[in-house]
Order: sequence, then structure tokens, then C-alpha cells
Amino acid sequence: MIAHVDVNSAYASFERVFRPDLENVPLVVLSNNDGMVVAASKEAKAMGLDLGKPWFELRPQAARLGVRAVSSNYELYGDMSRRTMGILERFTHDLDVYSIDEAFLAVSRRVAGDPDAMTALGREIRDTLRRLLGIPVCVGIAPTRTLAKLANKTAKKLAAFDGVCVWPACREDWRQSLMQRLPVSEVWGIASRLERRLAALGINTVWDLAVADPVMIRKHFNVVVMRTALELRGVVAISAEEDRTGKKDQLIISRSFSEKVTTREGIRQALSIYAQQAATRLMRHKQVAKTVHAFAGTSHWTEQKSYPSVIVKLPFPTADPVELTRAAHELLPRIENGARYARAGIMLVDLAPAGSATPFDLFSHAHEDAGIAMIVDQVQKKAGKEILGLGYGGFRPGPSWQMKRNMLTQRATTHWDELVTAKV
Amino acid sequence: MHGTITSTVTTPRAVAVSSAMLLVAPEAVRAGFPSPAQDYYDGPVDLMAQLIDDELTTFIVRVVGDSMLDAGIADGDELLVDTSKHPQPGDVVIAKIDGEFTIKRLDVTKHGVILRAESAGHTDIVVPELSELSIFGVATYCIHHLRRRQRQRLHSQ
Repeated sequence: MIAHVDVNSAYASFERVFRPDLENVPLVVLSNNDGMVVAASKEAKAMGLDLGKPWFELRPQAARLGVRAVSSNYELYGDMSRRTMGILERFTHDLDVYSIDEAFLAVSRRVAGDPDAMTALGREIRDTLRRLLGIPVCVGIAPTRTLAKLANKTAKKLAAFDGVCVWPACREDWRQSLMQRLPVSEVWGIASRLERRLAALGINTVWDLAVADPVMIRKHFNVVVMRTALELRGVVAISAEEDRTGKKDQLIISRSFSEKVTTREGIRQALSIYAQQAATRLMRHKQVAKTVHAFAGTSHWTEQKSYPSVIVKLPFPTADPVELTRAAHELLPRIENGARYARAGIMLVDLAPAGSATPFDLFSHAHEDAGIAMIVDQVQKKAGKEILGLGYGGFRPGPSWQMKRNMLTQRATTHWDELVTAKV
Repeated sequence: MHGTITSTVTTPRAVAVSSAMLLVAPEAVRAGFPSPAQDYYDGPVDLMAQLIDDELTTFIVRVVGDSMLDAGIADGDELLVDTSKHPQPGDVVIAKIDGEFTIKRLDVTKHGVILRAESAGHTDIVVPELSELSIFGVATYCIHHLRRRQRQRLHSQ
């Protein structure tokens, strides 16, 4: 059995942890440069404020409607995500962090046989995150990842579930009628562009896909769609390694190790591989990253606990594997001798389309001149980033790619001079 | 886990999220003879381990105002706040009141919950209904600044 945990309106929820004044109001989070809505609270969604809406269109009415807007604060989201995932890890022996706001948890065999125990587990996960971090989540538990996602969606949409839907605990005829009502595009990994082709074969609902002949599906589409169909029947066909997020603003590569890693060298190797995978994925999507978040963790049950983590701002947006690897390796000094690490990963947030950052090709090979890079780095560390740089890359960042974040909230958990304040 | 607490407010290239360590230097090694103390050196004192029970649920909150002076909490101090601790009467808590965080001493009486200020001239906050009280976390330690210089710098931000 697999539990899928997903933060409700993640960015809006992360913002609210330190901003009680933003609770219960329609809240939108804006993209880089405050251009578009990238996240909306449920109050904002109820008003029809959809993702992708340009802010300049909304702004004139925002005050009248009581809509609050903030710039995206990726430092805060990254750290709140790290805390959320760290707490989720306490509920499982195998956590698969799937994106900044969702994860799959392996459910232990003892619990998996008992629908009541699974419901209790889901409730405990939800209550714990609410109590400890103030973060609302929904939980879906099912035999496969695809069904766990569907159960989670059900938990989110139908108030009667109160945020936790355990698929095997639902009556079979009810599950069937639900799947018969949902359009097939509600299924994880079924893109809406497939919808028409599926409809041509008479597959309109989730149920239609679940009962379709897998061989026929494979013939008309591909093995990925076939595996999705199998998963809807409860056959496990999709593994942890697959990236099907389809998310455009973040990229996570995080794995549990099959054997515990106890050396810095081992972690170095893992991070190098992840950074290169990330670079490949970025290039495939024609994107560049500005921030690298590298982390590792021991199991919660071990004696010597260690959860090192760094957030590294890249000198310029890049998809260069060398730069990404070097940034990820900044985690290494924090790796503790003797600790038995169960996983490591890197997360790239704050992605931008490649090419929006024009002047960088000039400097993308800066790493080759390691002598200069090191001096620049040392001077910057001592005297501040703006004091010295290479050519156009130095001094203040150019206007074309410096993010405009006029409504940025405090980076309250990662920056000493931006801590949350409380009046006494 | 080898970050250091720095007293400047410049942004380092890598931001330590999870660790802070106080460096307590081992006996300096004199030329020629290795110090016998080295064999007993087990690494510096780990402030994180001493002050923080659960790093994932511990936040740092900066104090604004002077209603808790008698509790040793002054304007510009930092509090370690653990959201996993169950608030007990007598704890200093960070509560959400009217959309703002406030730091007060939690007191439970027959007439309801009282958030007590601890400084002359400041009034307590009475919360008649328990359901109206939302507590973010319990303050476990206060980093009280004994020198002025750094605080002024922080305030000038």
C-alpha cells in the first residue's frame, strides 16, 4: 500500500505559516517578476482566480475584492518543504519525495492489511503536519501510486472524507461509480491532449480506462498509458524513479539508498549523479535553474540523526552540470562522519526558461578558470556579492534577469536578517 | 554540520538551514609536541544538539517590543520556538491574536486563558474562549543580546 500526501495550495499554505493575517483571505502567489499567478489559496480559487492569470489584469480589482498577493518566496517554500518531508519520513521506512509539495510513503505491511489502521495513519499524518507546521495536507492511500493520487484528489474534493481517503476502505460499488463519473484526464499522467484520442476509442471516464484491454491500449498509445491503466486496476506498474510531475517551476531528484551511505565520498557520488540527471532534465525542458537545494538524511529511527541541507544561489541561472554539481557539493562539509544516510537529493526551484538569461553564455565556462572563480568567490564572501564579479556578471545583476519581487514576504527560516517578528 | 554562527548580516553563498555550531577551539597545538589533549577532543560543542530538541519543528523568532522585559526578553532578542511542545501554564508562548504573533506568558484561570505581559505598564490579554486561542509554539530559549552594536545593525536593515 502507498500513501500519497499532498500539501493543499502549497505556496499559499507555506506563506500563511508566518503570516496569520493572510489566513482565510483570498491569497495569490505571483511568479518571478510578479508576472502571473502561480498559486492560489482555496478562497482565491473559489473566486475564479486561476493559475496563469496575469497580475496586471487582476491588480486593479484586487483591493476591492480583498485579494492579497505576494511574490514567490522560494527560500521559504524550500525550507517548509524540507520540514514537511522530514516529518513525513517519521511515518515510513521509504519516503519518495515527488515534488516540493507531494510525496509517496510506503505503508508498512502491518498497517496495510487493515483499513481502519490505514485511516488512522492518514489522520495522524494530516493532524501532525497541521499541529507541528500549520500545514494542511490531504492523504490518499491505495495499492498503487495512480490510485493513491486519485484517492488524494477524492479526499480533496469531497468534504465528507475530511482530507483522508483510503481506497480499500471505500465500498467497491462506490469506487466504481466515482470512476465512472470522473473524466479520464483526472488520472495521473494522462495529459489532456490524450483525451481526444482516448475518446475515439470510447474511453471517456477513469473507469473506461481501468477496464480497457491493456494490449489494445499499448498498441494505440504507449507502454506508459498501458501501465497507468494497469495501476487503475490495482496492479503496481509505476516505480519511484519516474518523473511525471509535469511541473514547470521545480525539479526534484531524491532517492532512498538501497544500502545506507556512511561516507562523504558516497554522498558526493550520489549528488554528482543527481546533479547531472537534473542538468539533463533542465536541458530537455529548455530551462535554467537559479537555486540549488541539496539535502541528505538519516533514517529517523537511527541513533545518530543527521539532516544536513544547503540552499545555494547560483551565480547565474544555468543548466550546466558542472555548476550544478559544484553547488550540490556544498552539502558535503555538513555530512557527518559515522552517520548512516538513508537518502540524498537535490531540488531545483525557481526555474526559468533558458534564453531569458541572455548574457550568461559568456560566463558559462567560468568554472574552467578555477583560480579566478575562487578569488571572486572569496572576495564576495567577505565583502558581499555586489563588490566584485566577472565582466557583466559582476556588480549588480542585470535588469533583464534580476527578479522583481516587490511583494516578497520574509525569508523567515533561512535568512537571519529576515526572521519572523513577534510583538511582545 | 560545521556551520558557524556569524555575527554579520551579509548573506553567505550557502545558507546553513539545519545546523549551527559554536566553535570551541581545542587546546592550541604547540610546535614540536602534539597536545595530549588532542586524544580527548571529540569535536566542538554542538549548540544545535544542546538547544534544539527537534530541528524540524524549531523556528527562530525575533522579538519586537518590551512587554516581556521582566521575563528577560528584550526588543531585538531572538527566541527559539518549538511547535511540537505542548503549551503548559507558565510557558512563554507565541500566540496568534488578531492576525499577528504576540509573545506572552500563558496563564490558565477560572475566567479563561490569560496571556500575561511581564513589564510595567503593559496589560494582559484575556482570551475568554479557549477556541479563540491559537498558539504557534512554545519559546524554549531566548538569545538575549548583551552588546548593542549588532542589534542596531539589524534594526537598520
